[in-house]
Amino acid sequence: MSEALSALNPAAFARARFRTWWQSRLPRSDTQLLTQSNIYILPTRAGWMFASTLLVLLLASINYQLNLGFVLTFLLAGSGAVSMHLTHGTLRGLTLHLRPVAPAFAGSPAVLDVVMSSPTSQRFGVGLRLLDAAAATLAWVNVPAGGQSNAHVSFVPAARGLHEVPTLSVETRFPLGLFRAWTVWRPVARLLVYPAIESQAPALPAARPVAAGAATSRRTEGGEIEGVRAYRRGDPLKLVAWKKAAQALETGAELVSRDTSTSARQELWLDWAACGSIAPEERLSRLAAWTLAADRADADYGLRLPGLEIEPGDGDGQRARCLEALALWR
Amino acid sequence: MNAPTLAAARRLVPSWPGWNRLPREARDTLFLLGVIAWTVLPHAEHLPAWAIVLTALVLVWRGRIALANAALPGRWVLIGVLVVAVALTLWSYHSLLGKEPGVALAVSLMALKTLELRARRDAFVVFFLGFFIILTHFLYSQSLGVAIAMLISVWGLLTAVVLAHMPVGQPSLKQAGGLAARTALLGAPVMALMFLLFPRIGPLWGVPQDGISKTGLSNTMKMGTMTQVARDEAIAMRIRFDGVAPTPPEMYFRGPVLTHFDGVEWTPTGLPYAAASLPSRPPTLKTNSPPLTYEATLEPQRLASLPLLEATTDVQGVDGYRIVAREDLQWLADRPVLDRLRLKGTATTRFVLGPSRRPGELQDALALPDGFNPRIVAWAQAFRDDPERRGANPARLVQAVLQHIRTQAFDYTLSPGDYGRNAIDEFWLDRKAGFCEHFASAFVVVMRAMGVPARIVTGYQGTDLLQVDGYYIVRQSSAHAWAEYWQPGVGWTRADPTGAVSPDRIGRSTRLAPQAGFVAGTLDAMSPQLLEQLRAGWEAINNRWNQRVLNYSRGQQLDVLKELGFVAPTWEDLALLLVGTLSGLALAGAIWAWLDRHRVDPWVRQLERMKRALRGLGIVAATHEAPRTLAARVRERLGASGEPLSAHLDRLEAQRYSRAATRRPDRDLTREFELAARRLRSAAPR
Repeated sequence: MSEALSALNPAAFARARFRTWWQSRLPRSDTQLLTQSNIYILPTRAGWMFASTLLVLLLASINYQLNLGFVLTFLLAGSGAVSMHLTHGTLRGLTLHLRPVAPAFAGSPAVLDVVMSSPTSQRFGVGLRLLDAAAATLAWVNVPAGGQSNAHVSFVPAARGLHEVPTLSVETRFPLGLFRAWTVWRPVARLLVYPAIESQAPALPAARPVAAGAATSRRTEGGEIEGVRAYRRGDPLKLVAWKKAAQALETGAELVSRDTSTSARQELWLDWAACGSIAPEERLSRLAAWTLAADRADADYGLRLPGLEIEPGDGDGQRARCLEALALWR
Repeated sequence: MNAPTLAAARRLVPSWPGWNRLPREARDTLFLLGVIAWTVLPHAEHLPAWAIVLTALVLVWRGRIALANAALPGRWVLIGVLVVAVALTLWSYHSLLGKEPGVALAVSLMALKTLELRARRDAFVVFFLGFFIILTHFLYSQSLGVAIAMLISVWGLLTAVVLAHMPVGQPSLKQAGGLAARTALLGAPVMALMFLLFPRIGPLWGVPQDGISKTGLSNTMKMGTMTQVARDEAIAMRIRFDGVAPTPPEMYFRGPVLTHFDGVEWTPTGLPYAAASLPSRPPTLKTNSPPLTYEATLEPQRLASLPLLEATTDVQGVDGYRIVAREDLQWLADRPVLDRLRLKGTATTRFVLGPSRRPGELQDALALPDGFNPRIVAWAQAFRDDPERRGANPARLVQAVLQHIRTQAFDYTLSPGDYGRNAIDEFWLDRKAGFCEHFASAFVVVMRAMGVPARIVTGYQGTDLLQVDGYYIVRQSSAHAWAEYWQPGVGWTRADPTGAVSPDRIGRSTRLAPQAGFVAGTLDAMSPQLLEQLRAGWEAINNRWNQRVLNYSRGQQLDVLKELGFVAPTWEDLALLLVGTLSGLALAGAIWAWLDRHRVDPWVRQLERMKRALRGLGIVAATHEAPRTLAARVRERLGASGEPLSAHLDRLEAQRYSRAATRRPDRDLTREFELAARRLRSAAPR
């Protein structure tokens, strides 16, 4: 409601337009050195309060002819003026660097890791936030002299795809809080957002066996994959196939263990067509959930999307390939 | 003590984990409470008891909350306490406006606000109220001691502000205090500049003289006025003579002249200040001694009458006030003096005031109120009509009355007790114990009853001994009242009846001293000189403080401009100079920041220079290459001959993480490197 109203307000509209135009002029970069030309500084509300306090003190000093009152007023005024330079100096010379951004799922938080390094002096109370986020979300750090500190901000991307990292803002009010210095920073990095994961996804589709290896394997009713192999020293007890143990001991054969590696010999296709009749985005969500489930089950799995097929495989690479495909498919 | 009470007591007083082990928030809050207590403390002297108790209770309560990490009280509790504070203020002062109720309210408000420290904005309210309360101390005293105490307060408050803006970790108080001190010290030049150049203008509205009680001379006198002043050891003026100083009995400093008597109170006949319509009417003086010049610094007395040495004939160098000489030998300013005044005067200590006079002056000086002190009037008439003195001239009558005082058992005392309605009757005929005001009043009434015009003069008599810096100090405790009588053909002549009863009071620089306090008493008993020396040393410092800082007024400002080469400086010049200098400073700051934008890490700059030198040798280094990589390339390319270069590069690499690297580059390293590179280049075959 209020947003709709403010959209109607011509001043707010003009301000928003100006802001967009201004930000679009800022060059994008993953590493930004803060200098005179990209730090802004304005008095805070406390700063204006301080100024009016000084005015009252000055009037009282004049009216009661208090020379010591003048000393107090001017000492505070001098400190206030110096604090402006100190606030500006807290940001000046600071280098911001955005670490490579890990992909995130839509609807769950993505974390941006910013390294701030100060070649010269120690910096206190430097805060990082998204430009559009509330002031309460500021992540505060101190940057040691000649060293660096990490600050993290997170945000929740709404939709899948390859997005630009939102505009960031680094600010400080140190030392007296009378001025706020800030910078607006547009990193060049892009954030890959996977589809949101369906929360109550149905079980994985059935896997098909590929040509069997040396170990025996069979398919159970529930579609679970199970193989056995000879017991090796160090196999955990729960891997031992106890049902077969009695039989094996009777025949004088060795113990057998359930073989997790042989399950990879099964081939699992995560298919767009197998998702049933739901909306395309929901299908992507379900496929994403299945990808994660298959990865957890350590299965060989492939992905079929309209116009795209990823050969079965496993491991982190396969997982990333599939999720990326789901994120970027259109 | 049984177990439940012990447990209850423990609940009431949270355990103290030690300063360093306190949680950050509790520590910061306790620190702020301490600073507030320190800031408010000097007001304990002026505030009513309830304000002190309320403030102390609230601060202790808040400290307990911080230690126990308990919840802050609700809004209604605060409003309740606030209503109580306002009601008590009204009860104490019958007003919420004015200085004293204002100070009481501000102090209570600041204490209460600590119970409401929820957001950053609340903390700022406390800081700003704190700065305001610091200023209110100066209404009472601007002494060096107060200045030092308040400097500590400012530092404490700034430290608390800095702490509030260090949101990460647990910064030590020492660190925050250092940062606050650095901010204030960097601001000090701005302060000095503005203090020197900010044009001193008069009060913008009204002349503030309400509320603040003061001791010192006043325009009226009744029984008890002088006794009160005489208990005050504060300094009234400092005076230094060029050449020979007058003897102590000659040092009368003439303040308000009081002629009108209503039976209780003595008041002046004319206006107590030099209104614009009041012309300068210098007295007619017959001088009997050579003129002497002096320089005096008068503490502000909030009185238009300047207590100057009798008889001052000329005054120079008073800024900001128009002063005129009056025919009764007073020097009047156009309004009550609120500044410390430094002036140069010319005076003659032996003189006769007259014989010309203002019409009606003598009638005023003969009037006695009806229905007061009938017995002394009868006594005086009988005294005059004594056959021994029949037809005696005023001078002889005065001598006879002084002789009477000398021979009767009059007692000179600072605590004569309370007198009734006919105070002068009671004093002169019954109790015979009093202070200078009693003697002077009785003497003037007796003279008037005998038909001799007489009046009261108030001021100061006597000084401390000569100080190390050449100044004599006149204290409030030297306040004195004496009399003047009129002799036809001669004029007004001084008569000091107190001298008749206590010659010491006039002859030497000693006064009746009230009982010393415990500490002073002990010190005095141990070493009488030590206390006196300590006081003398402290007062010499204080005098310099007064002269340099507190007495700095428009006159001195214009002198500064003259020294800077202005021919006829005005206050507009001051304002222009101030604005110009501040703009210049701001511009310099901006330019520095602009130049600073190109500043690179000294280590990186050094590496750039080395890379440039390497390029001369045909080794083109990429931006990303570290000194270590470059050293390897140099070794590979130049072999043993390049060893000095690669060693230097290795040293540079090692320095990256040394403590010194961030501050200043190792210039020798760069120079040696460039030298080696040049040597190599010239040696290399082209």
